[in-house]
Amino acid sequence: MNARLDSFSYDDDIVRKFLWATMIWGLVGFLVGLIIAIQLPFPQFNFAPYLTFGRLRPLHTNAVIFAFAGNAWFTGAYYSSQRLLKTRMWSDGLSKFHFWGWQAIIVAAALTLPLGFTQSKEYAELEWPIDIAIAVVWVAFAINFFVTLAKRRERHIYVAIWFYIASIITVAILHIFNNLSVPAGPLKSYSIYAGVQDAFMQWWYGHNAVAFFLTTPFLGLMYYFMPKAADRPVFSYKLSILHFWTLVFLYIWAGPHHLHYTALPEWASTLGMLFSVMLWMPSWGGMVNGLLTLRGAWHKVTEDPILKFFVVAVTAYGMSTFEGPMLSVKSVNALSHYTDWIIAHVHTGALGWNGFLTFGMVYWLAPRLFQTEIYSKKLVDLHFWVATFGILLYVVAIYSAGATQGLMWRAFDETGRLQYPDFVETVMRLMPMYWVRIAGGTLYIVGMILGIYNIYKTWATRPAAYAVPVVQAAPLEKAFHDDPHAPAGAGLWARFTSAAWHRKWERMPLFFSVVAAVAVIVASLFEIIPTFLIKSNVPTIASVKPYSPLELAGRDIYQREGCFNCHSQMIRPFRYETERYGEYSKPGESVYDHPFLWGSRRIGPDLAREGGKFPDLWHVRHMYSPREITQKSIMPAYPKLQENVIDFDGIQKNVDAMAMLGVPYGDAINRAPQMARDQAKLIAAGIEATGGPKGLENKEIVALVSYLQRLGRDLKNATAVTAPQPAVQPVPPVAMAAPGGGNR
Amino acid sequence: MADNDKERLLDHSYDGIQEYDNPLPTWWKLIFYATILVVPLYMWDPLGIGLGPGREVAYQQDLAAFAAAHPQNTGPTLNDEQFVALSKDSAKVGEGKALFTTTCVACHRPDGGGLIGPNLTDDFWIHGGKPTDIHKTINEGVLAKGMPNWGKMLKPEQVDVLTAFVISIHGSNPVNPKAPDGVQATPDSATAPVVPAAVKKGK
Repeated sequence: MNARLDSFSYDDDIVRKFLWATMIWGLVGFLVGLIIAIQLPFPQFNFAPYLTFGRLRPLHTNAVIFAFAGNAWFTGAYYSSQRLLKTRMWSDGLSKFHFWGWQAIIVAAALTLPLGFTQSKEYAELEWPIDIAIAVVWVAFAINFFVTLAKRRERHIYVAIWFYIASIITVAILHIFNNLSVPAGPLKSYSIYAGVQDAFMQWWYGHNAVAFFLTTPFLGLMYYFMPKAADRPVFSYKLSILHFWTLVFLYIWAGPHHLHYTALPEWASTLGMLFSVMLWMPSWGGMVNGLLTLRGAWHKVTEDPILKFFVVAVTAYGMSTFEGPMLSVKSVNALSHYTDWIIAHVHTGALGWNGFLTFGMVYWLAPRLFQTEIYSKKLVDLHFWVATFGILLYVVAIYSAGATQGLMWRAFDETGRLQYPDFVETVMRLMPMYWVRIAGGTLYIVGMILGIYNIYKTWATRPAAYAVPVVQAAPLEKAFHDDPHAPAGAGLWARFTSAAWHRKWERMPLFFSVVAAVAVIVASLFEIIPTFLIKSNVPTIASVKPYSPLELAGRDIYQREGCFNCHSQMIRPFRYETERYGEYSKPGESVYDHPFLWGSRRIGPDLAREGGKFPDLWHVRHMYSPREITQKSIMPAYPKLQENVIDFDGIQKNVDAMAMLGVPYGDAINRAPQMARDQAKLIAAGIEATGGPKGLENKEIVALVSYLQRLGRDLKNATAVTAPQPAVQPVPPVAMAAPGGGNR
Repeated sequence: MADNDKERLLDHSYDGIQEYDNPLPTWWKLIFYATILVVPLYMWDPLGIGLGPGREVAYQQDLAAFAAAHPQNTGPTLNDEQFVALSKDSAKVGEGKALFTTTCVACHRPDGGGLIGPNLTDDFWIHGGKPTDIHKTINEGVLAKGMPNWGKMLKPEQVDVLTAFVISIHGSNPVNPKAPDGVQATPDSATAPVVPAAVKKGK
């Protein structure tokens, strides 16, 4: 023992702040989830323009991932890191900046998403100024964390810290590279990537947001709070090492499994699947280490609701990380993709793993942070049971809905025709399950309210002033010993399996962080470089032209309203898809799609070949009042689109931004507003001539219709070229939207 | 604190948390190796359940297999007389009416008197008034005029009963109909009568 001891204290004030933010944003995020769950079976609950499913769904996902789970991670990280490193956070100022910055970002998200400002990439919807703010706050967090790491009084770093390191580094990389975009206004931007490449980058990000925001940080939390709550040693140090590194290295490859059978090159899809399968055991390493840590403490689980939360959390983690690899197998994915099955899968993870781990942690922390007794242990127990029952109702209903939907879409009758050609039939069948989900979600929220009440009452009995215990610890000494250490004179293999080499890494956090970063970056580059460089991945289709200025404006409306949340634009090469929607989607078709809008869910039908399927007037009436056209439709009504005036002059800067990204706009660069006006006039005249409303030539609906009528037509034009052509190319009136007008 | 002699607690502690030096569970290792083994098995595909010829070839094979199993997909399965007969089958007409109510009324009005789409009850037909013409209009649509291609969204029997229902409402004279449009298909024309008088009486 060193004679000299440092005296210091931990910053628990920041932990208390994050804890409250976790609970409050959690409730908000869950409530938005409940609203959108109600909107599905009860479409009248959509209140256009701000509170429709398309705008609220991203708010729900962002709130739960970044506000609830994010704040939960920070709560636990600030509490545990200081204690595991035996030092106060390096800078209280940076901690506060991190806290208030993060909350401001959440508020900005809660305002901009319902207002329709979105990059329309899942979990990366926030527009560019907010993205920059996220990067700044993240860097502040990282600096504070790494300097604290450098100033630690514990020679070796514990497994929880490894997970925090990997998460902080990887989230920064993912966030920056997926959000690269060209601004076209204060809250409008276009992704620098297009089509296949944008899809690849998005799901490299999207999958690893799940990995490095919802999985690895929470494993870090588990490694601190579970042994603490159970008062048991961790089951296996070696398992920690192996599952940490395999997880970090393998996870990053798995993104393409979100794009099976799409226009993404098949090699990428195959890599994504194989690495996902290999991820099964590395993921389960965490579960094994968590559950086996409870050996000899199982009798405590029956008495302690905190341990109950942890046990269900780790079990849910095990279930969803078995299911993930299973869903990434292509043939399973063929059935599950675009269905509610995926929604059920992520809710097992979010409600069970992230939610329950957070609740267990919060209840463990509350008496310690507020320096009092928990207000009611019975209420904690009630929260546990109500929420567990809620999860069961939710996932059972939505798993059934997903399987039902997937099976109905692919069913053929004995004559070889689709059994359910009318899409709405496959939607109606899900309604009872949607109501059960609402019941399950409501129970989960009831549990959350009980939790907030309990924490509030606990907080109310806090002391007048918090005691600030003084901690004493020796600064890092020159002498230390590694345990395990390499057995003397042992062979290479024995040295490797002794894990002594890793023990060395653990006292070199900078080196450790670099290795983790390299693992993530190298794995990423193996997929990113070929995706961007190999030309044959995206064979060019000569007939594919940029969107006309009006169509681009329509596409912006499509993004603003979040249509991609319910409608895919990606037909897979299956007979049951091509029968229903038309020829499957080709990589070359989306080369001008900044960002790609393939979607990941089919609450409504695919729209990749929507152009020309219905007349313009059909779309006008359908947007105005969907249920007048399709009685059982659950789509929100968008009557305002017939009133909102197109900002024709504003189209120019959008076209210019696209041109800057290399989209060949030709002379549209100078006269986009005029071209848009001309096209709008033609379409409006056609609508009026077929008996529709008058005076739409400057209304948003016309722009949206022009975009919808364009979808998938370029490929049809390509096949028309090879077919014998009549002397005069007949122009169907529905196609008055001149395709590729921009090039003339 | 160790549970038994075999377990060794490592000589370190972090904020009171200790770790065992336990080896990796055997089952864990075996499954991990097995998932790695999936890689060559999937790529070489000796069992025929792996990568195979790839998704596009598989799709073409599926199309070919379907074409072989279903040699001909013919047009309307019924002729004009059979459609007229069907339009007298009240059960079938009832099915047609139910479909009409969910699918067609937005444009043709519940009574068929026409709204955005034409009046379906008068003697004037834009795309032909023979039962097989009506079937064709429903089945293939007339996109230029705004009639969707219902053959894609409905089953063949459904298109048949819809056709029967449309025939059955001919001459029903709804109030305030849309103005006549198209070519008159008179009962005595060579292109066959639209609906025999008997049907009208029966209504």
